[in-house]
Amino acid sequence: MSDVQPRKPKPLNHRNVLTQSGRFGPNMTPMVDVTLVILIFFMASASIAGHEWFLSAQLPKEQTEQESSGFSLPTPMLIADLYIEQERIMVRGIGDEPRTLEAVVLQIRSMNEDRASGLILSIRASDDVSYESVVALHDAAASVSMRVAIR
Amino acid sequence: MRNRSIISNEGSGARINVTPMIDVVMVLIVFYLLVGQLAIDRKAAIELPMSSTGTEETQDLDPIIVGITADGSITINGEAIENERFAGEIKGMHTRNPSTPIRIRAHRLASFGVVRPVMHQLRDAGVSAVELVTEHRP
Repeated sequence: MSDVQPRKPKPLNHRNVLTQSGRFGPNMTPMVDVTLVILIFFMASASIAGHEWFLSAQLPKEQTEQESSGFSLPTPMLIADLYIEQERIMVRGIGDEPRTLEAVVLQIRSMNEDRASGLILSIRASDDVSYESVVALHDAAASVSMRVAIR
Repeated sequence: MRNRSIISNEGSGARINVTPMIDVVMVLIVFYLLVGQLAIDRKAAIELPMSSTGTEETQDLDPIIVGITADGSITINGEAIENERFAGEIKGMHTRNPSTPIRIRAHRLASFGVVRPVMHQLRDAGVSAVELVTEHRP
């Protein structure tokens, strides 16, 4: 009875995920490749996503001639009215004649910053004008350090 | 004592222990997934107007973010709110924390007829200035 030898464990069969070099364990190389690609993708997409900027705008109270409210806009002030005419966005109030938004944006950007920084641009827009157009005018004013109020 | 080297000498050939690297990479992937999801939730799929000027974000104070979609739906900090309740809600928030900046994230194609009432309600709630959120145009 004491001659009975303990049975040797049978070696595990090799499968595809196991290496063929006599070592056990899954081949991690494809998983590492995939995870690194995913990681690089997320890092790249995070850096490509556009940064957000902020344009400061005042919200002045409507003011009558007799009324002097707690928050009032000092002069000098440019008042720009945006409206749509013949499917074009026009600006009235900057210059003698109404002009297209693109022309006014160019004019504002070409202003002397020292002079413009003392001005306030008050923007009014009709209901059908897009918010994007208001921001474009705001952006131009901010580029020459002009303060902006939106009514 | 077990060998803690990254090179395992067990068996016939030396192998690099990749487990710690996989742990780190997986944690990074989960991090980016969560951050991306949070960013999407917060932005509420609003396409922002572009600007070439402006100030970059400062994390001094947690702002109140008012979102306006192209169809006029309003959100406060990512949560939808009825237009009728907006004025009261924003007034309460502004009264509790008057120094908290208020940012407007409006869809670039929203008509100003949709955005203006929100600005007027903010003004009536005592807000004297807002920050318009734009996407930086390089």
